[in-house]
Amino acid sequence: MSAPPPLELRRCAQCHSLFLPRPGVCLRCGGADVSPAAVDPIGTVLAATQVEYPPTGFSSPHRLVLVELPESVRLLAMVAGELPAPGSMVQLRQEGDRVLAEAAGP
Amino acid sequence: MNVRVSATGFSRFGKRPESLVELLAEAGGQALERLGRKAVDHLFVGAMAAGPLAGVESLTARVADRLGLVDPASGYRVEAASASGAAVFHAAVAAVESGQAERALVLAGEKMTGLPTPEVTRVLARSLAPSEEAVGATMPALAAIIALRYLDRFSLSAAVLDRVTVQFRESAQRNPIAQFPTAVRIEEVASSRPVALPLRLLHCAAISDGAVAVVVERGNGPVKVLGMGEGFDALAVVDRPELTSFRATRVAAQRAYEMARLTRKEVEVVELHDAFAPFALIDLEDLGFMGAGEAAAWFENGWTRPEGRLPVNPSGGILGRGHPVGASGLAGIASIADQLSGSAGPLALPRPPRTGLAQSIGGMASHNFVTILGRSEGG
Repeated sequence: MSAPPPLELRRCAQCHSLFLPRPGVCLRCGGADVSPAAVDPIGTVLAATQVEYPPTGFSSPHRLVLVELPESVRLLAMVAGELPAPGSMVQLRQEGDRVLAEAAGP
Repeated sequence: MNVRVSATGFSRFGKRPESLVELLAEAGGQALERLGRKAVDHLFVGAMAAGPLAGVESLTARVADRLGLVDPASGYRVEAASASGAAVFHAAVAAVESGQAERALVLAGEKMTGLPTPEVTRVLARSLAPSEEAVGATMPALAAIIALRYLDRFSLSAAVLDRVTVQFRESAQRNPIAQFPTAVRIEEVASSRPVALPLRLLHCAAISDGAVAVVVERGNGPVKVLGMGEGFDALAVVDRPELTSFRATRVAAQRAYEMARLTRKEVEVVELHDAFAPFALIDLEDLGFMGAGEAAAWFENGWTRPEGRLPVNPSGGILGRGHPVGASGLAGIASIADQLSGSAGPLALPRPPRTGLAQSIGGMASHNFVTILGRSEGG
């Protein structure tokens, strides 16, 4: 099976922080030298919740997870399917501005 | 600092048929009445989303017109999301302290019940980071994730959140303006419908209408402004190194304590921002009253009750009083002022406090405020 596509994040050249693409400087140190960085999309679920009253434009049930990737990168993702348990592994992918999570294979 | 709070006023909180301007005028008129109708020369108004939620703009001129304030020398509206009420107070105090204003009427309010709940949820979520909005995050959803991290880190059960709600709803019974004047039992909180687990309906602030007024002026009086501080944090919660404490509160508190030249040990009453029950625990720890993970025990032991060692939210807080978002920050400050001036009526604490602290959270804790007031000895 081919490896899942990496996440396209940004890395600060000064403090090496990783974050989602966004306009502006590095959040941690204010560094302006920010360049694309590919990151392995498999991470650990730190917290998961089912949002019973999603905002206009999102269908119910709407599930969100906080995921930790290598290098302590944390991302908030929408879940496709069942709510994963804390500590389980998920695979993330980007779809426009959205980050989506699904259970990672064994 | 030579600024005092000389009057307060509250509209009743809840589902109100009146417009935002009428609610602000109700609270403002009450404060001006208590002031003996003395002239005010500045008017400051706080609101988070008057346009989207209440369909009204140009609030300051409208309220001046409605209250018959013929010619304030200056006035403007201040916005800092759900901390707008604290932000506008800080702006007004700075104007008085600088000599620009002699006596300022400070108003803060929100009108929220005119829109369907999903639409209100969407407007409130506009204070979140774009990456959070993109995945359909809401305020309760992020608060739930923060709560999960907090409970997990300190090995606590969700029952600690139930106790927070029970205490604040009990206090709200004595508050004549509260949206929720009835107590709730722990089982009712624990079985209320899920919003974003572990958060249930009774752990979350209600959608409310309401307004608060405070008059600030130069000189000595019973209630003095001792210290003020603000702090910021990354907009997106994932960009913060930790989720179980709010940097914006810690920074705001440090600045306020330094300005007031006192420590948390001298604080005898607190009104904090409990839009979600777990925030009450995090807030107390961020304000320095106990170590990380220890606040739950304070609620369990009753130490945060009105007769306890540190009364917390004797007004009922946001969970009991209701949460017209722009008003809540000023509601905390005005409640502390009433305690210090001896005008808290049925909310008066068994031991009259000399120093009180109000804390307010803007957005998902990206811009928080701390305000310390004190009673003048012999004032």
